[in-house]
Amino acid sequence: MTDSEKGQLSLALGREPTETELGVVAILWSERRSYKSSRRWFSEFKTDGENVVLGLGKGAGIVDLGDGILLGVAMESNNHPTQANPYIGSALAIAGVISDVIAHGCKPVALLNSLRFGDPSIKDHAFALKEAVRGISEFANSVGIPMVGGDAEFNDSFGENCVLNAVCIGITEADSMVMSRASTPGHHLVLFGAKTGKERLIDDTESSESSNTSVPGNPLAKRIVIDTLEQLIDGKLLRGLEDVGGGGLALAGAKLAARGNTGVEIHSDKVPICEEDMSALEIVTSDSQDRMLAVVAPENLERVLAILDGYNTPHSVIGQVTDEGFYNLYHYGELKVSLPAVLLTSGFLEPDRFEECLPERTASMDWLVEPLDHVQMLLSMLSSVNIADRTWIYSQFDQHIQANTIVDIGDNSGVIELPKGKRIALTTSCNSSWSHLHPQIGAANSATLAMRNLVASGAKPIFIADCLNIGNPERPESYAEFVEAVKGIGRFSHDFNIPVLTGGVSPYNEKTIDGKSRRIHLTPQVMMAGVLPGNRLPARRSLCTPWANLFLVGETHRELNGSVFQQVQLGRVQGLPPGYQAGMEKSAMEAVLASHAKGIVRSCNDIGRGGLAIGLMKMALRGDFGFRLDLSDIPGSAIGMTEILYSETSARYLVEVTETNQEEFLRTMESCKVVATELGLTLNEPIANFGSFSVDLKEARKAYMSGIAELLDK
Amino acid sequence: MTIAIVKFPGTNSEKDVFRALSVIPGARPYIASSRDGVGTLSEADALVIPSGVSIDEYVSVGAEKWIDGLKNEIQEFAESNKPILGIGNGVQILTRFRLLPGQLRKNVKGRFVCKWVYLRVCKDPTIFTDGLEGLVIRVPVAHSHGRFHFKKKELERIVDSGGVLFRYCNQDGEMIPEANPNGSMDNIAGVKNEAGNVLGIVPHPERATKVELTSADGLILLESFVRSITAR
Repeated sequence: MTDSEKGQLSLALGREPTETELGVVAILWSERRSYKSSRRWFSEFKTDGENVVLGLGKGAGIVDLGDGILLGVAMESNNHPTQANPYIGSALAIAGVISDVIAHGCKPVALLNSLRFGDPSIKDHAFALKEAVRGISEFANSVGIPMVGGDAEFNDSFGENCVLNAVCIGITEADSMVMSRASTPGHHLVLFGAKTGKERLIDDTESSESSNTSVPGNPLAKRIVIDTLEQLIDGKLLRGLEDVGGGGLALAGAKLAARGNTGVEIHSDKVPICEEDMSALEIVTSDSQDRMLAVVAPENLERVLAILDGYNTPHSVIGQVTDEGFYNLYHYGELKVSLPAVLLTSGFLEPDRFEECLPERTASMDWLVEPLDHVQMLLSMLSSVNIADRTWIYSQFDQHIQANTIVDIGDNSGVIELPKGKRIALTTSCNSSWSHLHPQIGAANSATLAMRNLVASGAKPIFIADCLNIGNPERPESYAEFVEAVKGIGRFSHDFNIPVLTGGVSPYNEKTIDGKSRRIHLTPQVMMAGVLPGNRLPARRSLCTPWANLFLVGETHRELNGSVFQQVQLGRVQGLPPGYQAGMEKSAMEAVLASHAKGIVRSCNDIGRGGLAIGLMKMALRGDFGFRLDLSDIPGSAIGMTEILYSETSARYLVEVTETNQEEFLRTMESCKVVATELGLTLNEPIANFGSFSVDLKEARKAYMSGIAELLDK
Repeated sequence: MTIAIVKFPGTNSEKDVFRALSVIPGARPYIASSRDGVGTLSEADALVIPSGVSIDEYVSVGAEKWIDGLKNEIQEFAESNKPILGIGNGVQILTRFRLLPGQLRKNVKGRFVCKWVYLRVCKDPTIFTDGLEGLVIRVPVAHSHGRFHFKKKELERIVDSGGVLFRYCNQDGEMIPEANPNGSMDNIAGVKNEAGNVLGIVPHPERATKVELTSADGLILLESFVRSITAR
């Protein structure tokens, strides 16, 4: 805590705080728990919407899908612990995000994860990635929640600071939803789940070399918490619930009280602990996972305790809700903490933060050298780490448990079926190269990427969750990047009328090495969900008919700055990344969704990393068919083969349409004022013919499949 | 037919199996929790041991007592010649009880594997695969410990006696090494016991029960299991 924060605390209390009080406040007023540097900007987001039940800032987000079904979502980062110990940190990320969703009474039905690591051709980075994947895999698979989406990106900036964001999706019904608040004095506070130990997660501001005592969450304990909660919720026995994880009982108790306009009285000596000699402060600030703090009315207490006994899960009545507005902590009868709950959750000063002017970028493409051999270039692109197939990673995640998965990871978006035949598509996306070069455009286009993933599947986007992974907010340049990223996602949310439902900020993703500060490329990770109208089946990206027409939707511009092509050719990114074009993007979205609605889309892919060429290759490599194209007349400002093939202009899709539906498709495009260009035909032969050159699909598949796998199998 | 789906604390697929069996005419599944103790299986005509965490994970948290607590009852159930189906790590429990031959070891690549695979159903008639002989079916696998291992003599014996019911194959039904997701001996994906009433299948039929999920082949297997109950 800073001196001015300590001063603020004494002033508010009218006395000097005790040691224990200082310890509690230090945790709750930390950047990670308080969002003190970031929350002033959240008004940039569109947060309301007719289906929003629980919006930004209230824990997990919840939307109403209709027919009584509510969908909950939480998104979290666990970057620093994952950097320190990838196996444990990644498992804890999954454990934490599941807790956020089940704390609202939701049954967890899907997970997604986003990974940002250093170049996997460097052994240490490959090892860290493998360990993180193993941690996620062991935890998520054992708990039994399907992983249906994710993305991974690699560059040097993540070598010292990896990024791991996780998303959990859950469902509940309107009358089963539980709020994170304690509204009625006299209700009991029941802690259950794992026992409390001395674990402390690594604070964002600490360097990862510092001692790390956190232990992996226990999937069996999580499974038991989920099963127990299901029974408690089915019996409508809970009046409020908060998960106890990072920030511990200090945070959980303060939130319940502050949100319910009440107070809480907590007896730390009643908490089931697994280590000897824990002080009151250690008990209430422990980050031990898999614990829940439930608010239980006196008339239900006996039944709740009977259920908890039945599961043999550690539990204890640790206190009660009061009407004093205070967070009172007793240890063997001695009052250790007596602080207003609201002071804990929002009494901190918002520190001054400064933004620096970010570097100007140029649209110049002077650096571009037309490749001599386009076949080799395409193979290099396919095997480059930011394009190559990610099956090595995703095959370690159970994607089918719960038996609702319609589309696995690796397609446009993951699709699952919910009760009453509802089908939703889920995706995560972020291009940190673009975001590094131009935070606002990069963040907005990370969101359009996610949106196009959904639209290509045929899903209509309904909400955004985000996690902004940034550098040190106390540095003006990092802070400016953060502010611009918020503005970018904010702009997108208003332009497309899609609410930001929940999110997080992960600060201090930087490290000083040899006197130089190294921070990550800004990573505004966007998760987006969409519904398949009329419960239609989703379109996939694999070509599925021979002699069908392949169409390009949208215009292609001279936008190779920040692209994978640039990374492959120059070994770095520079310049002004592809523009954010809300108008074009919206028309293209409407046109493609209208085509899906007419049932004339055989397969569809959106264009993102690697541009047109990679979009087409992914369609061919996932299916059994090749193609023959004529790229001589592509609308837009792109000049020459390289720009046409690899430019990463937004607002573009690839659509496979059979001969009979061609006219209908073109009419649909025209009515939405969208340019659609016939590129050529799909073929029975396994060949990708781009007109001026062709690639054997067997060779292409080898490059694509081995790019990452070979590095990780070493 | 009443079918008990046995749930231990780390079981995570019991509801999937319940849903899948519920749509099969004549099947009356119920979830029997190991916490309810001995006696919970007494009314069942057949048992399913669904998948969950691996035995290693149980042992590491000292929870194998729940499994061993039902050992005698499940063994008696098998001895009374009623059908038992183990799926995924449920097979591990049945091999631990010595109700099925062999062992399930860690995948040859040392990591979890989730993917869609093809299985070739054995040609010899068995009660569990009646009418499916020689078929190629598509179901997913998801396991870290799914590699069937047998002692040499044991392998010869079960192969000779028709104890292998399913083998990994490619789309065309060829049982080649590339189609084997975990390094199982002889591409073996499912076996039965000598008496013929206990079946273990490592892939997950309960996750392939309708075309929307890209395959309904798993339902065919489960229907065949339900028919085997009546056949007795």
